[in-house]
Amino acid sequence: MTAIAADLLVGASTDFLRNFSPFNRMEPGALAFVAERAVLAFHPRGSDILTTEMGVPRHFYIVQRGKVQARQTGPTAVTEYASLTLGPGECFPIGAISAQRPSTNAYVAVEDSFCFQITDEDFLQLMQMSPVFHLFCTQYIASLLNQSRQQLQTTFSQRAAEQQTMTTPLGQLVKREPVCVGPYTPTRAALEQMNAQHIGCLVIVDDENHPVGVLTQSDLLPRVILAGFDLERPIGELMTANPHQLAATASAYDAALEMATHGVRHLLVVDAEGRIKGVVSERDLFSLQRISLRQIRAGIENAPDVGALQRASKDIRQLALNLIAQGIGAEQLTQFISALNDALTRRVIQLALERHDLVGIDFGWMAFGSEGRHEQTLSTDQDNGIIWRCPEIEAVGPIRQRLIAFAREVNTGLAECGFPLCKGNIMASNPELCLTLDEWKSRFGSWIREPVPEALLNASIFFDFRVLYGNERLGDQLRTWLNKIVRGNSAFLRMMAGNALQVAPPLGRLRDFVVEDDGTIDLKKSGARLFVDVARILALRTGVDSSSTAQRLRQASVKMGVSADEVAAIIDGFHFVQLLRLRAQHLESENDGQADNRVDPDSLNELDRRILKESFRQARKLQLRLKLDYQL
Amino acid sequence: MNNWLSRLLASSTGSEPLSEQARQTLARWAALPEPDLARAHFETRYVVVNTESSGLDLDKDRVLAVSAVGIDGGILAPQDSYYAVLGEHPAEALTGLLQAVGKAPLIVFNSAFNRTMLERALEEHLGLAADWLWIDLYFALPALFPERFERPTRLADCMSSFGIETFQRHHALGDGWAIAQLFLAVQARALAQSALSPRGLADLERSYRQYRRKV
Repeated sequence: MTAIAADLLVGASTDFLRNFSPFNRMEPGALAFVAERAVLAFHPRGSDILTTEMGVPRHFYIVQRGKVQARQTGPTAVTEYASLTLGPGECFPIGAISAQRPSTNAYVAVEDSFCFQITDEDFLQLMQMSPVFHLFCTQYIASLLNQSRQQLQTTFSQRAAEQQTMTTPLGQLVKREPVCVGPYTPTRAALEQMNAQHIGCLVIVDDENHPVGVLTQSDLLPRVILAGFDLERPIGELMTANPHQLAATASAYDAALEMATHGVRHLLVVDAEGRIKGVVSERDLFSLQRISLRQIRAGIENAPDVGALQRASKDIRQLALNLIAQGIGAEQLTQFISALNDALTRRVIQLALERHDLVGIDFGWMAFGSEGRHEQTLSTDQDNGIIWRCPEIEAVGPIRQRLIAFAREVNTGLAECGFPLCKGNIMASNPELCLTLDEWKSRFGSWIREPVPEALLNASIFFDFRVLYGNERLGDQLRTWLNKIVRGNSAFLRMMAGNALQVAPPLGRLRDFVVEDDGTIDLKKSGARLFVDVARILALRTGVDSSSTAQRLRQASVKMGVSADEVAAIIDGFHFVQLLRLRAQHLESENDGQADNRVDPDSLNELDRRILKESFRQARKLQLRLKLDYQL
Repeated sequence: MNNWLSRLLASSTGSEPLSEQARQTLARWAALPEPDLARAHFETRYVVVNTESSGLDLDKDRVLAVSAVGIDGGILAPQDSYYAVLGEHPAEALTGLLQAVGKAPLIVFNSAFNRTMLERALEEHLGLAADWLWIDLYFALPALFPERFERPTRLADCMSSFGIETFQRHHALGDGWAIAQLFLAVQARALAQSALSPRGLADLERSYRQYRRKV
């Protein structure tokens, strides 16, 4: 009787699909295949269905009802449209799931929407079984490629002109006419201008266009809303007088320094007579820095030997230090470091592959721990391994020997590039960590079945894995398997939770902070780890694939009904702790000391101390949630 | 739960004696662990149950057919569904339903009718008084979507508000499928309003019902 019910529901899906291309032209067997496997889910208005950060798409979606918008993300547009709305019968993603790579679009429900979904494996099988569907997908991808080629040609000439650096004069960076008003303008009229022109910074000028003040969006909350400022009063009473300004001939670097020194986000650019020429924001400078990042990256990708990579590694470090000095946020910073270190590691691997013939061996180079989470700081040793699949006809032993010989060379190469060998021997050249997919599964499985303290410690390092080079599918398969096994084992998650709660945030009852004997706080052990450990558990519990802490928190919170504001505050807290770690490491390395994660709270300025305290409160909030969930 | 099992084994239900297979299914069902009603929606399997009856008179009319549609972790899969006509072998149809439902929290539309009819049929044919958690979308929908529904509203209007259609109205599974789609939306909204678990959602539904009574 169950079969009757399923047939009726599958029939309903079939009838729906038949109204739309390519399903209306599809072979009957293939259509039945889709309808039998399509499950339905609901996406409330405003929710993300699929984003780049979610990694390789796990599902192929067909809109049943509602509207889904595809928005381009990332720095350069791939296609000519900026956003595209999908309605009933339309499918996504096609390119990303066919190529098994993260989507370049973000898909967001712009209305309450229902979508059918099939798994990526079913999608690939459907491509094989249905010539109609195969043609539909390849034509779609071809049209995208064509669009992207045209786009590249038109932007190529522009890009050459955009090769600016931090020495660019500010005059060239000003993109638009500044929006100016006189000091006697009623505040309401001035704010209406800001709103209409979408600007973050309004310039107040005298009769001769000399700037006399600025008003930025961040002033509005304290000075207007909370202060109950009367909007009929002139803007001159509200503005920040004597604004920071620089000559148009000053360099972008001067501007970055000025911003960092005074803690402002906007600077006024004036001509030789002191008249306003424009406004430069932190973001304008930030986009410049990306170009020099690109140069380092090109240097890495073309490096002929490890010697060249050693130089690139120093460049990465220097760039990171510059970025810290310029006050760039921890999330971007760690992402940059991680992206460049990834590129470096890949190049070391490629160079080693020139001497080790691994053709025909299906393997992936894995990163664990902070590298696995994209959260490397400046002092990180190696944590890596290999996942591979043994061809049926061959023996495991000899292949493992070849992989280990290759891994040994990569480990040495990485050490020469400034990633110290792991003291705990968590390295791919360790036979214990050069395992087939099945061996990894049984290793992980034994920790989950018997969560003794050592197993929990291992889980906290190895479950933050990602494949950095080679066959990413192997990593995906391991992740899917792991999420499924852990979901069915709440006892294990409970043990993990208990473990995560062993370290409390260093907040004191009497004093602000609880410090160790030497008067410092360990920002790794009693700071970042608090967030990282909880995020890992939430990700395992909600089946989130991402291995980064911020992404795990963001994606898990959607499933758990935590508001976006609440999770943003938690993530800000985590990033602030990370930033302090980076700063501490920066100072240590300048003094040639051993880079570590300690900070003396008394050495921080008042503002930083308060933010740090708030960050620890966020960690406590996160821990409390875990305590409640697992009744610990 | 009363001692239905002993009554069942004594076969004092008045109707035909249960087959051995039905007894085994019932025993297996009884042995299932109780669900953890404090678990999050995404860790919970709910089941939408619905009936089709000879009419709307609770005293005279009888259940003709029953259906179940599972929603596991916010996903509605056609394979997780059940439909049976009571006909000649009502006990078989109902044990089948129990097997499909398990002890999952139940979602129903208009429990005053559907729950009453179903509980009566289970009592009559299986001698069973099951202790499920019931959540009635008739009340949960206006509680969660006040901008759409000012008051409890009939199924057809709830469906059209979301643009939900079904292959056959007034059919136990046809309506059940529509109710299941409504429940997907309910679950998402409940999450946004901090009703995070079956228990949370049931509390919300009950407090709305009490509030309605006072108004």
